[in-house]
Amino acid sequence: MLPLRIALRFLRSAPVQSLLIAAGISVGIATQVFVGSLIVSLQAGLVEQTVGSSPHITIRAPDEGDPVTLTDDIRTLIAEDARVEDGAIAAVRQTSALFTDGEDSAPLSLKGGDLAGIDAIYSLSERTVEGTVRLDDGDIVLGTDFAEKYGLSPGDPVRLTFAGREAVRLTLTAIVDLGAAAANERQAFVGGALPSSLLGWRSDEYSAIEVQVREPFASAEVAAAWDGSLRGLEIVEWQEANADLLSALQSQSASSYMIQAFVLVAVALGIASTLAISAVQKTRQIGILKAMGMSDARAGRIFLWQATLLGVGGTSGGIGLGYLLLWAFSFVPVDFAIEPEPGFIAFSAAVGIAVALASSIIPTRSTSRLDPIEVIQGG
Amino acid sequence: MAEAPLAPAAPLLVVDSLDKVYGSGDTATHALQGVSFEFAEAEFAAIIGQSGSGKSTLLNLLGLLDTPTSGTVTYRGTDIGSLGKPRRAELRNSLIGFVFQFHHLLPEFSVYENVVMPALIAGVPDDAELRRRAEETLGLLDLEGVADKNANALSGGQKQRVAIARALVNRPALVLADEPTGNLDTTNTGLVYDLFRSINEQTGTAFIIVTHDRNVAQRTDRILEVRDGLLIADERNRYIGWGDVPAGARRRQPV
Repeated sequence: MLPLRIALRFLRSAPVQSLLIAAGISVGIATQVFVGSLIVSLQAGLVEQTVGSSPHITIRAPDEGDPVTLTDDIRTLIAEDARVEDGAIAAVRQTSALFTDGEDSAPLSLKGGDLAGIDAIYSLSERTVEGTVRLDDGDIVLGTDFAEKYGLSPGDPVRLTFAGREAVRLTLTAIVDLGAAAANERQAFVGGALPSSLLGWRSDEYSAIEVQVREPFASAEVAAAWDGSLRGLEIVEWQEANADLLSALQSQSASSYMIQAFVLVAVALGIASTLAISAVQKTRQIGILKAMGMSDARAGRIFLWQATLLGVGGTSGGIGLGYLLLWAFSFVPVDFAIEPEPGFIAFSAAVGIAVALASSIIPTRSTSRLDPIEVIQGG
Repeated sequence: MAEAPLAPAAPLLVVDSLDKVYGSGDTATHALQGVSFEFAEAEFAAIIGQSGSGKSTLLNLLGLLDTPTSGTVTYRGTDIGSLGKPRRAELRNSLIGFVFQFHHLLPEFSVYENVVMPALIAGVPDDAELRRRAEETLGLLDLEGVADKNANALSGGQKQRVAIARALVNRPALVLADEPTGNLDTTNTGLVYDLFRSINEQTGTAFIIVTHDRNVAQRTDRILEVRDGLLIADERNRYIGWGDVPAGARRRQPV
């Protein structure tokens, strides 16, 4: 362990230099930890916002107006797939209606089904702004913008007319914020019976079967697996429908990888140059040690240890600093929570130490090649 | 490497037809040509010569820091030329103690650490026994009480004595000293030579002192003179002690 002892002493004999380079590594690794966690959390937030409260997979008839018959086969297929989120299955019927209040009228898109399935997918209870979500016969749930525009509150009657049919009077049970203006203005939820009677469908016929999966990005795989079993039906998954968003996320990831890669290169160059300078500064000492019989390999290990110590010290400091940045960022008002990603942080630490070790290659080589004669005769 | 080839039955050192050429073709420089001599255990000798005479080249070859172009250096029966670089480093550590013109202490380390560094390189544990050995060696050099000071905190003469303690700590068979007093005043120079002599007498450690100063060389038992890469003289010399001694008082014997 003599090379380690000498490495420690060399580092301690130039404390400012050692601290500066360790700080350089720390800043680099902290940037890795922060930017990496930020991007991962930001993307998770965007995905959650996009599909957290909407179906990941929709099974419907090839012609949108036609019903899907919910057979036992389909039920079993979905219910037995472990990738499906518990309870997040909703067989829904969709139709459109015209809201009238005597003076104004406005179109509404009705989605009817069981509260349990719809709530699991659309998080109506969580998103309730006013009232209590109920979807029994005669109940309706409206978006915030629509309710505000027509001055509606829970308990108020809502009159809907349908093409060629009598008007229906429903009771507003809850006002929900669906997270998007278009939905808040047009979307309404009702019990399953109303659209069924309007459409004249049988009790096992639905507009669509909507499903959420546990891992949103597994939707394509699940949809492909189901596609074979559900012949004659259209299976739509969210990634296909949101290709633009996904390509934006990929571009964001790519740019974040670029930033991280350049930060690592800067860290590597910093360590390499400092170690190279240190190796030059310690040429005389290395020459003396070699003259006294230290082998080339052991002399080289002095700088390998210096790199290791700087790498481990700087990386530890960097992770601490990264957590500090994440903590500070938690006070910034943004609409997603930034979470430290332990796997990514472990990866950053490993990269930091590996970069430090790689940076020691040049000084380690020049040290093992140093001829002690050059040193002892020069004085 | 077994102990046997380095047993003191053979002469400590045999140098045979040593050539050292730097460069090649028209630019080749013959730094040493056909140098041969034997050196016994516990001898006390000087190598003299002007700058550029080849004495430093010879010292590097004797110190296993360099390899000859041709010829052999044999320590206690072992031809050094047959050994690899790591083994030469090991022998350098165990067999030879170096004292340089410039003390070449490691400024990052304490006096104690500097003294024991060759022992640490040899893998000796840094324990109470090593501490005792180092303090004994420092005591021999009149350096009590400085062990825990930083090497940089000492005077020039003290530093050179610490460097001598370092050269002795592994109890080498031979101390190679390259202009060891080149940077010292007369008083310290005398002190260092008296030390060398008394260590030589007490421990049986052989000394080869490289110097360009004939007055210094006169205080040794044998003078090897190098000029233009050739060993031009190898004389037995009567030790006359340090101080002003008339030139005529010296008695010389051809070898």
